[in-house]
Amino acid sequence: MNLSDKAKQHVDSCRFCWMCHHICPIGNATGHERSTARARALGISLVNRGAIELPEIMDNIYECCTCGGCVNVCVTGWDPVMFTKETRLKAALEGALPEYINKLVDNCLETGNAYGETEISAELKKAVDAHSAKTDTLLYLGVDARYKVACQAVKAIKVLEKAGVEFTVLSDEPASGSQLDFLISAADETKKQMETAAKVFGEYKTVVLYDPNDAKTVKQLYKEYGIDVKAETVTYTTFVAGLLKDGKLKAHNTGKTVVFQDPYQLSRDLEETEEPREIIKAFATLHEMLLNRKETVWAGNLLMAEYLPDVIGEVAARRLYNVESIHENTVVTACVSEYAALKSVKQDKIEVLSIEDLILG
Amino acid sequence: MQYQMNEFLFAMILTELEDAVGKENCSTRAIDRVTHSVDYYWLSRMWADRGCRMPEADIIVCPKDAEEVSKVVKIANYYKLPVTTWGAGGGTQGGALPVCGGILLDTKRMNKIYEVNTEGMYIECGTGAIYKHIEWAANEVGKATMHYPSSLTCSTVGGFLAHRGIGVCSTKYGKIDDMVLQMEVVLPNGDIINTSSAPKHAAGPDLNQIFIGSEGTLGIITKAQIRIFDQPEERRFRGFLFQDMTGAFKAARELLQKFKPSVMRLYDEAETASLIKKVVGVERKGAFMNVAYEGDREMVEVEEKILLKTFAKYGAEDMGSDYGKKWWDEKITFFYPGYMMDIPQMFGTMDTIAPYGKIEEIYWAMKEAIETNFPQAKFIAHFSHWYEWGAMVYDRFIIDGKDVPKDPVEALRLHQAVWTCGVRTALAHGGVVNDHHGVGIKLGRLMKEQYGPAMQVFEGLKKTLDPNGIMNPFKLGL
Repeated sequence: MNLSDKAKQHVDSCRFCWMCHHICPIGNATGHERSTARARALGISLVNRGAIELPEIMDNIYECCTCGGCVNVCVTGWDPVMFTKETRLKAALEGALPEYINKLVDNCLETGNAYGETEISAELKKAVDAHSAKTDTLLYLGVDARYKVACQAVKAIKVLEKAGVEFTVLSDEPASGSQLDFLISAADETKKQMETAAKVFGEYKTVVLYDPNDAKTVKQLYKEYGIDVKAETVTYTTFVAGLLKDGKLKAHNTGKTVVFQDPYQLSRDLEETEEPREIIKAFATLHEMLLNRKETVWAGNLLMAEYLPDVIGEVAARRLYNVESIHENTVVTACVSEYAALKSVKQDKIEVLSIEDLILG
Repeated sequence: MQYQMNEFLFAMILTELEDAVGKENCSTRAIDRVTHSVDYYWLSRMWADRGCRMPEADIIVCPKDAEEVSKVVKIANYYKLPVTTWGAGGGTQGGALPVCGGILLDTKRMNKIYEVNTEGMYIECGTGAIYKHIEWAANEVGKATMHYPSSLTCSTVGGFLAHRGIGVCSTKYGKIDDMVLQMEVVLPNGDIINTSSAPKHAAGPDLNQIFIGSEGTLGIITKAQIRIFDQPEERRFRGFLFQDMTGAFKAARELLQKFKPSVMRLYDEAETASLIKKVVGVERKGAFMNVAYEGDREMVEVEEKILLKTFAKYGAEDMGSDYGKKWWDEKITFFYPGYMMDIPQMFGTMDTIAPYGKIEEIYWAMKEAIETNFPQAKFIAHFSHWYEWGAMVYDRFIIDGKDVPKDPVEALRLHQAVWTCGVRTALAHGGVVNDHHGVGIKLGRLMKEQYGPAMQVFEGLKKTLDPNGIMNPFKLGL
């Protein structure tokens, strides 16, 4: 496998290092030793040394959620996410992807989403159609909200309506490239999707990115891949926090005490930790979990649930336990995918809310 | 009965194990076998670095509790398959390596925190919990485990118990064997037992201490009650430069008759030279000692007075508190790749312990033995776990990559030779095989040399509890 020199250096540094063993949300949920940065690095290093074949490690390469918890705690600055993503790209180029990943990639290329969905729900369609007129502001919902958690997409629209914002929602959103980036990293197909989306975004003055995964992709990865977005891009939470600050949204006390689940894309990648808290504090009392802000623990997502549903259930359940352990019973999320993962856990102790739920009451 | 494993029988056994722990927690995948074949032991790392595959387990099982562990060992006993217990793989002695194949039992699904008891001051947890996780659980209620080894984030509760681990605050709070109240253990025959409900008793020998340090050879510890402590109101640091180690040992011994600091780290001249340069910007000869003392603020005030008075008596130069604070904040940083020794270097820590009067002699003897017999090796040491009666020496050898044979078997030979030389020297001068990293496969051959006829006690336990010899074979010299 022809990895870059940088990736090889990081692989060889991580293969015998255990220092981030405690942090992997998947490793902690499953108890599986292979779900650690060092196991992944060891596997890749052995492929590089001809001791094991690439297809034998690929399942494990796709067991990484790329949340960057390991990167965040590494004092030296080694980056397991980087070499994991590069291995995915190389495997794609060498035709060594697992079949279930190929299927998701094909779906992305054919329909713009890994789920292969083409229709949105009637309720969401109605909400979207109400904002089909072109304005300066685009609310970009993203594929998870559109196809998997439509009720939250509708609520995201309602919050902006409540604040009197004039905005557009596209009936046919271009893919941001975030799912392809997760699946095959910086492949030509990924960049092509990103370029198409960037062109559409450029037609607006402001693009509000509802899904933190898209926000990370557009605000961070586009730059890394040299893709220019003409519009101002802003996360949904920053935008809504601004509406509160400007008095367009009115705070009210719901009487709830809640815990906030920081999406890693916001807290670690975009360094946005306080805006969601400003929103929450306008409607509830905030009680912090021990692992918050940059130290947040990923609570699952929809894309990986396509091929590891049980594991995602365990990851989400473990995060709910963190809420329970500080004797709280309500958690608020700012990521539609984490919301879905947490909601999917069969339990009745912890109420799972989105920021929109909190605002709309 | 001796038999040869065959494809049919293997498939049969696999289904039994899947039935015991669930199919998703039972693996024969290459990535799992490879992952569990390399731990922190230098030889396993070197072997993998050279592109070789270490001995691998045939089946990896991840039970969720003692009941499932019991089922696994019963199956293993019936088919006479080796069972190697794995925590997180952070051990340096190869104790968790499945050198005979068979079943590897990974404990990390047993990571549940059952109870945080602030009245009894303990946390009850599965032994597969990463120690940092129980530290977090303690912190959530304003307490702390006070067990802070460099491997805090790398290792499980069971891993520390299995090889008698230790943390940097041991002088005040104790080793892991001081930190456990009660344990649940699965015996090799599958019986699930509990040790005494309290550790300090006169109801016969302490069962805890039979299993702590047994490295999975006598049973599998599945649950433990681990002590927690109040967070100290204050923690202070002070650095001192002694003219030589002899003076430092005298001062430390006297200090420990008066009170117990949490951290005490004495560095030999080689390590002192580089450390002092960091502290004051110039190289100074001598022996540097970093001390931390903590607890109730009033007590800390008194302890500081005693410390300064005692060390001044032995001519120690007060170097202030800056270094100690920085060291505390970065105490784990030193173990990240880029800061820590790594392949292609060959290196090892030959920690041993002895009473005052012997420990410094051991240091000099080991230094001479290593530097004389292996001139390509650098020898450095510090002393970081102290008692009223003695101390531990954490002595390291480091060989530059250019002096390490490329051929893996030749590299193995050199590694073995250095270790044998170092540990035999320690034994000859009153030391022990190891202080807190355990024995594993690395040092098993030297256990009989330390214990002599006393080894029959361990062998008797082994024979009685594990008559088929399936539990972690070739570890601990058993």
